[in-house]
Amino acid sequence: MTLKEAVARFVKPGSNVGIGGFVNTRQPIAICHEMIRQGFKDLTLSWQSAGLAPELLAGAMMVRPDHCSIKRIELAYWGHESFGLSPAWRYVAERGLIEVEDWSNYNMSARFKAGAMGLPFLPTRSPLGGDIKNTSRTKIIDCPFTGRPIGLVPASHPNVGLIHVQAADMYGNCVIRGGESTCAEIAMASDFTIVTCEQLVSHELIARNPEDTTIPFPAVDAVVHVPFGGYPGACRRSYYFNGDAIREYLGLITPMVKGGSADGLKAWFDKNIFGVETFEDYIEKFSIKKLLADQLVEFHNDERLA
Amino acid sequence: MTVSTDYTAQEIIVVAGAKILEDKKIVFVGTGLPMVASLLAILTHAPGLIPVFEAGAVAPPLKHGLPISVGDSKTFTGASYLKGLNAAFELTQRGYADYGFIGGAEVDMYGNLNSTMMGAFPADYAKPKVRLPGSGGASDIAASCERTILIVPHDKKKFNERLSYITSPGHLDGSPDARRKAGMQGKGPHRLITTKGVFDFDEKTKRMRILQTFPGETVESIQANTGFELLVAPNVSQFQAPTVEEVRLIREVVDPDGAFVKRVAK
Repeated sequence: MTLKEAVARFVKPGSNVGIGGFVNTRQPIAICHEMIRQGFKDLTLSWQSAGLAPELLAGAMMVRPDHCSIKRIELAYWGHESFGLSPAWRYVAERGLIEVEDWSNYNMSARFKAGAMGLPFLPTRSPLGGDIKNTSRTKIIDCPFTGRPIGLVPASHPNVGLIHVQAADMYGNCVIRGGESTCAEIAMASDFTIVTCEQLVSHELIARNPEDTTIPFPAVDAVVHVPFGGYPGACRRSYYFNGDAIREYLGLITPMVKGGSADGLKAWFDKNIFGVETFEDYIEKFSIKKLLADQLVEFHNDERLA
Repeated sequence: MTVSTDYTAQEIIVVAGAKILEDKKIVFVGTGLPMVASLLAILTHAPGLIPVFEAGAVAPPLKHGLPISVGDSKTFTGASYLKGLNAAFELTQRGYADYGFIGGAEVDMYGNLNSTMMGAFPADYAKPKVRLPGSGGASDIAASCERTILIVPHDKKKFNERLSYITSPGHLDGSPDARRKAGMQGKGPHRLITTKGVFDFDEKTKRMRILQTFPGETVESIQANTGFELLVAPNVSQFQAPTVEEVRLIREVVDPDGAFVKRVAK
């Protein structure tokens, strides 16, 4: 299946879309590009901590609201850590353009885990004390065993999960290197899961070390080979952050928070997403030198023999 | 140990944060300045510090330099245990983290933090004056670590009697046993580091208390920049300015690219 076919088949108007990765690491960037090209309507987005994936989806809504719209977000964090705050988050939230449900990283992770376990909720201590319990669907009960207060968080079952991994076979068995984030839980909890991978390998290779399989095949509905599928974010063993590209994109949105022009952002979308056929065409716009440099940094982060 | 005369507000926060960290303790490290302070501590007095990062890395040696994200590849290399968010937070909820180290945009006298929104609450929750990134793992860390260390830039408008939103619970309303009654664990906020000094929380009232003033600050100047009445520890001392070596380490070794420590004049 191509990425175009996978997105057309599984992302529907009104879908709840679960986004994998963590902040700008292993975000499903290529899948988001394809969603924007095709357009989407009234989506709910669910994640724990994300950066570029929602920044792209919301950026598209800011320049083409007729073509791309997000209705609701269930999240713990939207920002870019050392690259700064999320201007698209400020833009959509401060104008009241979307419904929001704030959770914490562990609340969202436990919600995906409950979904992955086939259970309606999980108990956790972490929404207690502050206001998250007051602005979310958290229920606080007295534990039937200890009598102490405990929070219950409802399972999250996205209609479609978007996951980028290092390696997968054609059946959807996935190998994740570095932190696994909440990807396996999102894939298991979702009705359908689209996986993009840096490396598509034979089933025989995966089956030689089945203990390395992080996401099992029944949880996956489409596997597409997309090298650099998380770029300009980072992907363990493949490439480190392209900070210049991240800052450049954020810099186009930032003036819009205070009412600035959308022209720069529009031009970016026309050039990089609407004006190209595939994600490969977008990657082709980076210089080979820069792509090699970002690979080289990552090869130092995780040194190994070729 | 020559004292530096050329350091920024962020640099003294980093030095104060590093000094509070104890060697061989498990510290759940939040993003931003806590990461910088933790790496400085490892390179100075606490080589055996055990960091935990919420994207999944437990006990990485950080030999490849400063991570610019808590999900950075540099946190994964050499880690003793590496799964995902659930595993890191389960370990913390079980009580294995000695300290949590987090930042926030707004703080009250009981060490409750806000990193969600500025504006009237709950009226403006759906359309806040300023939307902040959100909890991330900070509220999880605040609810379950044995103690927490907080960083908040000092600003009268951000040190308020009432927060816009309590993202990360501290000592709640300061009443006896408040955290336990709410169902949380751990002793709550242990230290707060600001751009003006170091604070602790009074054993009995749980109220914020001046412990150390940074160079150029006094108890009076700090109180004048705080939106509620501060308590004052019996023997308030002056926090020594960073040494030339500490500033060099931050600028040349820990954060040479200025990822989190920006090079603005003090």
